[in-house]
Amino acid sequence: MDTLIFLLILATLAAMWRGKQRLAVALFLASMLAVGLLFRHHATDALAISL
Amino acid sequence: MNLVRAIIANFCTLAVCGVLLGAFGAQFIGGELPCPLCILQRMAMLLCAAGPAWLLATALRREVDATDYARCYGASALAAVLGAGISARQVLLHIAPGDPGYGAPVLGMHLYTWALVVFMTVIAVAAAHLMLLAPAHPERLPLRAFSRATFAILALITLANAAAVFAEEGFHAVLPDNPVEYRLLDDLGLKRSS
Repeated sequence: MDTLIFLLILATLAAMWRGKQRLAVALFLASMLAVGLLFRHHATDALAISL
Repeated sequence: MNLVRAIIANFCTLAVCGVLLGAFGAQFIGGELPCPLCILQRMAMLLCAAGPAWLLATALRREVDATDYARCYGASALAAVLGAGISARQVLLHIAPGDPGYGAPVLGMHLYTWALVVFMTVIAVAAAHLMLLAPAHPERLPLRAFSRATFAILALITLANAAAVFAEEGFHAVLPDNPVEYRLLDDLGLKRSS
């Protein structure tokens, strides 16, 4: 999954380089969403910050 | 003034690339395997750097205006907010007294704490740039060859991160919480038996 997200970011850069503005925006937002969802998957431990 | 804007866009991209190279140094020279949250912060940093790099790529094709600046630096700030959330979470995981933290500290702070500093800096720089330096009229940006090199460096670092995390993750869906080995070697049967 992590590898695929890095490749998605690489595809975002490719769209930016080629001047495909709408595709770049879509891929950028898809990358952000993928990072957010993977973060949600990993953020499982309770924080030990209660007083 | 367009020279200043070109220098800032190149510098912002290369500064984040420098931080990511430092993380590679900790991984391959220091021998510290990055945890899942560290990898997520690397992804967010690449998306932060993609903002000014996008501006540079656009400026190679045509004149750029305030809308382009808003789109590119806005994207950078958005990615920085996501990254700051991830690094703040990791700081809070290790904030209890007596917790040694994850990995070795660098200049007194752990890498995820430095990452939080980087993300807050990206937000501040993007906001200040949009407030003070957005151009009133469309303009061409100089330093075209330098901008091409900057974009290429960012793309190479992204590719290198993809390869490094593939080596660490192997053919598994996600990374373990505390990685201790490069699982691709194990998956391919290349791991030396002790």
